[in-house]
Amino acid sequence: MADSEARTAREEWGSRFGFLMAMLGAMVGAGNIWRMPFTTGQNGGGAFLIAYILLLYVIAVPGLMAETMVGRYTNHGVIGAFKRLTESKRARGLGLVVLVVNIALMSYYAPIIGWALYYAGHSLLATFTQPGFQPQAFWDGFISNPALVIGMHTVTMAGLAGVLVFGIRRGIERVVKWMIPLLVVALLAVAVRGVTLPGGMDGLAFVFTPDWTYLTRGSTWIAALSQALFSTGLGWGIALTYGSYLGRYDDVPLGGGLFTAIGNTSIGLLAVFATFPVVFAFGLEPSAGSNLLFISLARVFPELFGGALWAVVFFVSFFFATFTSGLGITEVGVTSVSEETRLSRTGSVLAVCGAIWLFGLPSAYSSSFLGQMDFIIGSFGLPLATLSIIALVAWKFGPERARVIDLNRNAGIYIGSWWNPVVKYVIPIVMVFIVGYGVVGSIGTENQTLMILGVALMAALVAVSMAVMGVMDGMGDTPDPASKGGD
Amino acid sequence: MALSTLAWVTMLLSLLVLPGVASVALVRSLRTEERKLELLRAQGSVDSYSPRALADLREWVQAHPNDPYATDARERHNECVRTLREIDEPYYDWSPEQIENLETIDR
Repeated sequence: MADSEARTAREEWGSRFGFLMAMLGAMVGAGNIWRMPFTTGQNGGGAFLIAYILLLYVIAVPGLMAETMVGRYTNHGVIGAFKRLTESKRARGLGLVVLVVNIALMSYYAPIIGWALYYAGHSLLATFTQPGFQPQAFWDGFISNPALVIGMHTVTMAGLAGVLVFGIRRGIERVVKWMIPLLVVALLAVAVRGVTLPGGMDGLAFVFTPDWTYLTRGSTWIAALSQALFSTGLGWGIALTYGSYLGRYDDVPLGGGLFTAIGNTSIGLLAVFATFPVVFAFGLEPSAGSNLLFISLARVFPELFGGALWAVVFFVSFFFATFTSGLGITEVGVTSVSEETRLSRTGSVLAVCGAIWLFGLPSAYSSSFLGQMDFIIGSFGLPLATLSIIALVAWKFGPERARVIDLNRNAGIYIGSWWNPVVKYVIPIVMVFIVGYGVVGSIGTENQTLMILGVALMAALVAVSMAVMGVMDGMGDTPDPASKGGD
Repeated sequence: MALSTLAWVTMLLSLLVLPGVASVALVRSLRTEERKLELLRAQGSVDSYSPRALADLREWVQAHPNDPYATDARERHNECVRTLREIDEPYYDWSPEQIENLETIDR
């Protein structure tokens, strides 16, 4: 380990803008564009937004501050951060849990990026405005062709590897600095086009008219909690990893916490403006999820003036949103592998991207398998990762210690002691509550077997990870509190 | 269908607390970087804690002198104090009197 530390020259972000765009790009993904608009409309519109925004500020913002701070303080990826902040070999296994969950997440997210790439490519070929274009047949033809879907999955992973191999500053930062601003401009353009369509304002009325009775329903608050926690990527290791590349004089709370959480949700809100007016103007089904993008909206473009151009703007920006998330999720593994093994950056990129490609083949081959992976990882894996990282700050490092030593260092905003109980109690309780609610809600439904499988898999993952880290640590280094800290 | 007044209010408030706050945070974050770089170029170092943050750090170190992280915390505190004494223009809102009254923490 000491060997690899000496060998690894730690990069830093080239600019503040690059770091902020990378954080935003990693957190803004497919869910912001196809999930947030419908979740808002389905749960009381404005009433849901009030609940959601409240929880975003109370939970997601402080949580992201904690995660980014751990990265900046330790100057290490997930496994290294756990090694430096806890002396318990078993607790260090939780770092491995976060890493495995990330690779599992990326294994089924990569095929989705492949779908987005396929549609972005066809938008450039003006396929969607060709005479006789049939969106349902086009989608069915694509998704039922394993060679094509696996091919797109392969191109996606090759593209991600091609960026990541150049590192943080010359790879990720160089790409996100133009992809994210373009995504925002594209969504703004589609939003303006949408609200000016006849009937477009009906979509906004559906989303923004508050139905106050929803605030008294538990399901509204659960949906708001889930959206606030999962759409911001809190505790997935991305903020920790990206934070580990911050420079000495960089701020954490303003950029890593407030801007990332609120900026991410702002793009979700922009997606509401971009999709719902179009959905209502053309009488589409708003609850269609991924089908809303790939089938329903694809049907709209031939009917729009300049439809070919709007298709390019929409699908290319959707591809940017998913690709930049893919960069963030994959970098978690790349950073940890390059720090914990003797592999070079290039070797780590090839190893991690190769593993994700391989594990992603079943999801690329079968949409049904992808859905099952999404249920297990989304319902149990990601909450487990979030709990692991928050527990590291809350119960090992200690929130007060973290706040006074590092969080407020070079900070753009001062964080008071209110932050401590939020990180120590509120976030863990909320996460456990959401998982418990999901488990209870699955009993007696078609998801019961998957739920049991998911809980069993996560329990096994924790046990195996702790055992593996115990064995590996027995052969390697010991924690040294005096050498902690990231300067 | 026209939007109701309530829908307009909800929409505008959402725009204010989401993209509005995000834009302010972005601009402020970029300006702070610019300002820090300016100060770094001019004087070689920048104070790393605000008056309130340094007071918190000092209190914590004094309350936990034997904590495993106390050495690191003390180093960070003292480094900030020394920097404030050396530089002409602090980044944070320090008054000359506040800087004058600062002391390093010895073990």
